[in-house]
Amino acid sequence: MNAQEEFRQVFGPAVSFDRQIMDSYDHDAGEMPRALMSLVRRRPDMVVLARSREDVARALDLARKYGLPLTPRGQATSGYGGSIPARGGIVLDLCSFNALLRLDVPNSWADVEPGIVWEELSRALAPHGLDNRVCPTSAPSSTVGGWFSMGGMGIGSFAYGSFLDNVLEIDVLAFDGTLHTLSGGDAALFYQTCGALGIVVRLRLACRAAGTPFTPAVSLPDASGVIRFLDLAGRDLPVYSACVQSAGYCELRARAEGKAPPISSGFMVSLALLGAADGGSVAALASGCGGSLLDEAVGRATWADRYYPMRLKKAGPSLLAGESVIPFDGFAGAWEDLRKTLGADGFGLEAHAVRGRRLAVLTYCLDNARDFLYPLRLAKALIPLRVAARHGGGPYASGMWLAALARSLYGKEKYRRALAFKRRTDDGDLLNPGTLEGPRLPFTPFNLSRCLLAGARIAAPVAARLTCANTRLDRRQEDRP
Amino acid sequence: MNTRENYPRRAEQALSPLSAEAADTCARCGFCKIHCPTYPFGGGFETYSPRARLHFLRAYCQGREKLTPEWVDRLYRCTSCERCEAVCQTGIPLVRLWEDIRAESVRRGLGPMPAHKRVREMAEKFGNPYGEDPSRQTHWLTPEHTPAPEAETLLFGGCTGTYKMPGMLRTGVAVLSRLGFAFTYAGGEECCCASPLLRTGQVDAALSLIARNLDLFARRKTRLIITPCGGCSKTLKKDYPLYARRLGKPFDIQVMHFSELYVRLLREGGLKPSRPVDKTVTFHDPCHLGRSQGLFREPREILAAIPGLRLTEMPGNREASRCCGAGGGVKANYPQMAGDIARDRLREAEATGADCLVTMCPFCMGSFKQAIEESGSSIQLCGLEELLWASLE
Repeated sequence: MNAQEEFRQVFGPAVSFDRQIMDSYDHDAGEMPRALMSLVRRRPDMVVLARSREDVARALDLARKYGLPLTPRGQATSGYGGSIPARGGIVLDLCSFNALLRLDVPNSWADVEPGIVWEELSRALAPHGLDNRVCPTSAPSSTVGGWFSMGGMGIGSFAYGSFLDNVLEIDVLAFDGTLHTLSGGDAALFYQTCGALGIVVRLRLACRAAGTPFTPAVSLPDASGVIRFLDLAGRDLPVYSACVQSAGYCELRARAEGKAPPISSGFMVSLALLGAADGGSVAALASGCGGSLLDEAVGRATWADRYYPMRLKKAGPSLLAGESVIPFDGFAGAWEDLRKTLGADGFGLEAHAVRGRRLAVLTYCLDNARDFLYPLRLAKALIPLRVAARHGGGPYASGMWLAALARSLYGKEKYRRALAFKRRTDDGDLLNPGTLEGPRLPFTPFNLSRCLLAGARIAAPVAARLTCANTRLDRRQEDRP
Repeated sequence: MNTRENYPRRAEQALSPLSAEAADTCARCGFCKIHCPTYPFGGGFETYSPRARLHFLRAYCQGREKLTPEWVDRLYRCTSCERCEAVCQTGIPLVRLWEDIRAESVRRGLGPMPAHKRVREMAEKFGNPYGEDPSRQTHWLTPEHTPAPEAETLLFGGCTGTYKMPGMLRTGVAVLSRLGFAFTYAGGEECCCASPLLRTGQVDAALSLIARNLDLFARRKTRLIITPCGGCSKTLKKDYPLYARRLGKPFDIQVMHFSELYVRLLREGGLKPSRPVDKTVTFHDPCHLGRSQGLFREPREILAAIPGLRLTEMPGNREASRCCGAGGGVKANYPQMAGDIARDRLREAEATGADCLVTMCPFCMGSFKQAIEESGSSIQLCGLEELLWASLE
C-alpha cells in the first residue's frame, strides 16, 4: 500500500488529492507577487480534513511514516505565509475541528478545539454571560488555533494583553506523536510558531463577563496627544479596548465607503469601556490632551465596524500592509519617521493599544498588485518594521516569509528552546517546514527569508520613492449588461 | 492535452472590467466562507467556498486557470442568496460575478447544469420553467378576484406563485380585491420573468422572455407592476431596466413587491387588520426580497399591524437571514443540498418556539413545504398574505 492508498483508507472522503482542491490551499491572505510565490513549492500533494484529535494524531503518524511535510491550516487569514505548504506534502485543514468542549462559568474559562471561529465562540459563550477577552479583527472568520499559531493582539488587548496572556492551558500533539498538556511558559513555547513544534488540539481560554461596552471616540491633534490620552484613559477609565486610527486611515476608509471621514487631521482614538463611564469624563481627558470628543455616532460606528479594517482595500485594489509592535514611548518618533517615508502615498495607520504600554500597529498603502513595479514597492511593507525597531519596537509575527525574524520575535531563550524541541521531535523539519528558520531559496544554500529581508532593505530607498499605483480612486459604477 | 480553449482569450474577457477589478480587491478574509449556506456541502474543503471561487475566478481572468467541468459544477453550487456580498469586507458584487462566470461557462458550452437546460427548454416552449400549459395561467383566480380589463397597475403572478404555490397569490390578490385596489392581470400572456435563466447564466434565452414581457407591459400601458414573488420583483427591479436598454425597449415602470404595496395601503389607512390572530410566528426573510431589495422592515410592519400576532425572530434574521436553499438553480440541479439547507433553516425556525413559519416568497414557501413534509416537522407554514387575510373583517 502506498501513501496515497493508506491516506485514503484512513481518512476516506476527508482526504483529497485533486489538483483543483490543492490550488485552494496554496496561499494565505497575503498578496505576494507570483515570482516570489514561485520560490516556494506551495501546492500541497494532499489535503486532509481533521475533525478530532485522533485525526490529527493519525495524520502525524502517516506523515512520519512516509516522510511527508505537514502544514496545519486554520482559515489562513494571516499574510505571513505561516499556512503555506512551503515544501508541499500534506495540508491539515483544522477548520472542522471546532467544538466548544467545556465551559466553567464560575471560573470563567472555556476549553475549545483549535478550529473554532472567534465570533462563533463569542456567540456560544453569550448565553452563559461570558465573552472572549481578546480577539482579532478577523474574528468573524479566523480560528482560535490560528491566532495562537501566529500570535496576536487586537480587540480587548488594552485590558487583557496579548492572546497568550489569556491562554490558561493547551494540549499539543508533537510531530513524534507525543501529547503534551502545558501551561505558562511551557505553553508559550508553542505560541507564534505556526504549528512547527506541534499541533494544538485543545486550548483553555480565560473569558470575561459579557457586557455591551460604551464606545466613545475622540480626536487628538498629534501622536504625543494620543499616548497621553491612552495613559490617562488607562488610569481613569474602565478601558476594555482602544483603537488608534490616523487621519490618513480614516480618509482611506471613508473613500472606500463613500462617506465623509470623521476627522481631517491628527488621530482618532476609539474606546470600548466596560464599566461606569460617561461621555463627559472622556471629553475631559481628551480636552486635557488637546483633543475633543467626537459625535457619539462616530464611536458607535467605529465599534460596529471593528471587524472590517480591510474595507479600505475596496479603494485599492491592493494593499501594502506593514505590521509591527511599538512601545508607547516610541510612537511619536515612529510616527514622524513613517510620515517622512510613506507620506507621499497618503498611508493610513491603525493600531490597537496593548496592556504594558504597547501598540500593535498596522500601516496601509493602497496599491495595485497587477502593476509591474508592485514587487519592488512591496519593500515598502517592511519599512514600518524597521521604523518600529528604531523606536524600541519589533515584529508582530514571523510566519514563513519573515521566519528570519523569529529569533528577535521570540527572544533568544525561547528561540533556543524551540529549536531544541524541534530537533528532538522533528529532526527532519517536516512539521510546517521553514517557519522557524525560513525555507531555503531553491537550488541555493541561502535562506529565503533572510534574502527577502536583505532585498527589502536594499530596495527600500528606491521603493520609498515610487508612488503606489492606486487605480480605484474613481469608482464609478457601470451598468450591466 | 494542452489546450487553451477554456481559457479566456485575454484577461478580464469573462467579466466586465469593473467586475474583474472588484474581484482584485478581495481581502481573502474568509467572512464569505463562514456565512455561505452551500460551502458546508463541499465536504469541508476550502475549494467549495466563495473565497476559493473568487480566487479561481481571478486566476481564470488572468489566463492562469482553465474553466473545467468540475469548476463549473462548483460555480453552480450557489443559491445566489447574497449573504457573501452582505459580509464582504470590500463590497465585491459577488453574486454578479457568479452570474457572469456562469454565463461564460454557457458561452463555452460547459454550462449550465442538466436541470437548468430543461428549465430553459420549458421556458422557451411554454413561457414558464415548469412546462405548464400557459392556458392554465389563470387557474388560481376565484370569483372574488376582480382584475380590471385595463389599469395602470399590472399584477405579475410569477410562475412559482401561479403554478406551484397558488395559495399565496390567491390570498394576496384577494386582499387587494377586498380593498377595491384597481389592477389588471395578463393571465395567459405573462411569461417567466427570466430569473431562473439569468441566475444560471442563460442570458440569450432570458433576453427573449424579457423582450416578450417588455412588449406585454408596453401593450398594457403599465405604470406599476405588483408581484407576490421575491425573485420576480428582484428581477423586474434590478435586471429589467438594464436588459430593456440593451434590447432598445422602454421600461419606465415602478415595481412593487406585495409587501411594499401592503405597507403603503396600511400607512394610507386603506388596509386595516382588525381581527386578532392568536399566533406566535417567526419570519423568514427571502434572500431576493431582503438582501437584494432591502425589504426587511416592510414584512415586519405588516406583521406588527395584525392584532394578537406575536413575532419571535430567528437568530439569522434581516441581513443575516439564512437561505431556504432553493435559489440560483440549486433546487433544480442539487435537490439534496437544497433540501438539507431548507431543513437547517427549518430547525432554526422551530428553535424559536413559534407556531408558524411565515414568509413572503412562493419559492421559499415551496422549499419549506417540502422540508416540513420530509422532516415531519410540526411547525405550520404560511404566507404573510394569509395572516393578513385572516385579520381582515
